[in-house]
Amino acid sequence: MSRLQVNLLGVSMKNPVIAASGTFGFGEEYRAFFDPGLLGGISSKGLTLHGSKGNGGVRVWETPAGMLNSIGLENPGVAHFIERELPLMRRIPSALLCNMGGHSLEDYEQGAAMLDKADIDILELNISCPNVKAGGMAFGMEPATAADVVRRVRALCHHPLLVKLSPNAPDLIAVARAVEEAGADGLSLTNTFLGMAIDVDRRRAVFDNVYAGLSGPAILPLALRMVHQVCKAVTIPVVGLGGIATWRDALCFLMAGATAVQMGTAGFADPLAMPRAIEGLEKYCEEQGLQNILEIRGIV
Amino acid sequence: MAVVLENKRVAPDVYLMRLTDTPAKPGQFYMLRPLPGSLEPLLGRPISVFDCEGCESSFLYRVVGKGTELLSQRRASDSVDAVGPLGNGFPLEDRDLTVVGGGIGIAPLYYLLKAHRARFPGRKRSAYLGFSGDSFLTEEFSALCDVSKVNIGGFVTDDVDFSVPALYCACGPTPMLRAAKKRAEAAGAALLLSLEARMACGVGACLGCSCATISGNRRVCKDGPVFPAEEVLL
Ligand SMILES: Cc1cc2nc3c(=O)[nH]c(=O)nc-3n(C[C@H](O)[C@H](O)[C@H](O)COP(=O)(O)OP(=O)(O)OC[C@H]3O[C@@H](n4cnc5c(N)ncnc54)[C@H](O)[C@@H]3O)c2cc1C
Ligand SMILES: Cc1cc2nc3c(=O)[nH]c(=O)nc-3n(C[C@H](O)[C@H](O)[C@H](O)COP(=O)(O)O)c2cc1C
Ligand code: FES
Repeated sequence: MSRLQVNLLGVSMKNPVIAASGTFGFGEEYRAFFDPGLLGGISSKGLTLHGSKGNGGVRVWETPAGMLNSIGLENPGVAHFIERELPLMRRIPSALLCNMGGHSLEDYEQGAAMLDKADIDILELNISCPNVKAGGMAFGMEPATAADVVRRVRALCHHPLLVKLSPNAPDLIAVARAVEEAGADGLSLTNTFLGMAIDVDRRRAVFDNVYAGLSGPAILPLALRMVHQVCKAVTIPVVGLGGIATWRDALCFLMAGATAVQMGTAGFADPLAMPRAIEGLEKYCEEQGLQNILEIRGIV
Repeated sequence: MAVVLENKRVAPDVYLMRLTDTPAKPGQFYMLRPLPGSLEPLLGRPISVFDCEGCESSFLYRVVGKGTELLSQRRASDSVDAVGPLGNGFPLEDRDLTVVGGGIGIAPLYYLLKAHRARFPGRKRSAYLGFSGDSFLTEEFSALCDVSKVNIGGFVTDDVDFSVPALYCACGPTPMLRAAKKRAEAAGAALLLSLEARMACGVGACLGCSCATISGNRRVCKDGPVFPAEEVLL
């Protein structure tokens, strides 16, 4: 068994590095730079039942060591995904996470029911998108609403269920516990932090939606703290993410208790960030004499 | 990673930088990061290939913010991150070619003219270049063209007669592209536009650069930056 091999929610992955939702398309875009099959897993762009054109106006804005985005879940919809993108994505020999969001409880339920029969490895339930007007993050803010949507999806979908949490919840630990109790198999966090930018020359907010989601190295310490806290509060596996750019960053999240990590924004700056991180983790295991990377899981 | 061969000022705030390891077709671009490996500034800056010889491309850019400012400070033998070549680029067609450029938007048109001349020496080439202030590199363009006209302070699209049969290619500020599209449509001319959008990935993965077209959203970085004018909703 390889030193980087991990098991996430019953799914065996060749390494603990997963491409984060919304930053890796449906797996093909970075093929010119590296073989996506080298990744432990790939999380699809966030899908919604009927698809969406996403938000108008400026969608991305650089910030110090990070970026704000207001994509607004532009996606082809669940049915289109199952028919068109999924077969291609399935050819990549990495764990396939299907990220799904919704504007209403009915959206989540119908989407989950459709995906139940689809050939995916893990359903990553997105209750944390800050960029859609109706629904999205609203489902992830309070323990009761989060538990409700998770319970309903759980009942309809037999795939391992990873629930993606929002760092913007007033009481993240309470949401994490409620989601665990409602039947989630694992948690992934964090999604983006709600932020804002103002164009002082034009004297107006940069984004049509005014607020947008902050990601990238700037959020790492905040996300790491939250992952550490949540790992201590729940017994199900946690996937850590938020600002990871190097193998050392990835190691921080594993040491904080995560079973796997996801990387997003760093790949925009350096397309090879993920393969480099995997290589770095492999070397680390060798140098430290670890049989498996997860020997250091949760040691902090 | 690419190495700077030369980085010279060609007008106030406008630089021409030549890099190693940057092959490209006309109309393609690179995501350039002035400080390799640094997380600040984080994102690559999309910059068009101005000219390309073998594996060395030059980039014509205007200093407008911190990324281009840092780029302008790089010296020969410094390295920069260059991710690319990206985007679809311009097609080379066996017919006359007319380019319309506004300001720094002239950048991708030079290599297009040069490649067109090499491939179709018998065809006619025309360049209409508009500037609001200082003009730059206009002699380089006229050396490649049968007709070349520079407009300072006016509407460059007013100089172009779109009823003359040719393939028209334009790059520049959105109001200029809009005017070109309107005139080309009125004259029934084939017009290609090279669009700009804020980008994060540059490779089609983030959907940060979507633009509206008659067939739904398209990604400027991957499906473009060059689009037929009649398809885009400007
Ligand atoms: C396909 C394409 C080709 C381009 N080719 C050229 C070229 O050949 N020469 C040239 O001078 N400029 C070109 N631009 C514009 C160039 O990308 C911006 O001027 C540059 O990114 C500004 O970076 P900055 O750090 O100096 O500005 P800042 O304002 O500090 O940049 C902050 C962020 O906004 C983005 N940004 C700011 N202005 C623009 C803009 N106009 N378009 C896209 N992103 C922007 C930056 O990339 C960065 O992410 C091109 C843009 C695109 C999309
Ligand atoms: C452009 C962009 C689009 C994103 N789209 C989604 C999405 O569709 N679904 C989702 O759950 N998270 C989405 N995210 C959030 C990321 O998956 C990730 O949680 C966040 O960016 C933090 O990780 P990072 O700092 O490594 O990017 C998006 C992030 C970015 C930057
Ligand atoms: S910049 Fe990411 S899709 Fe175009």
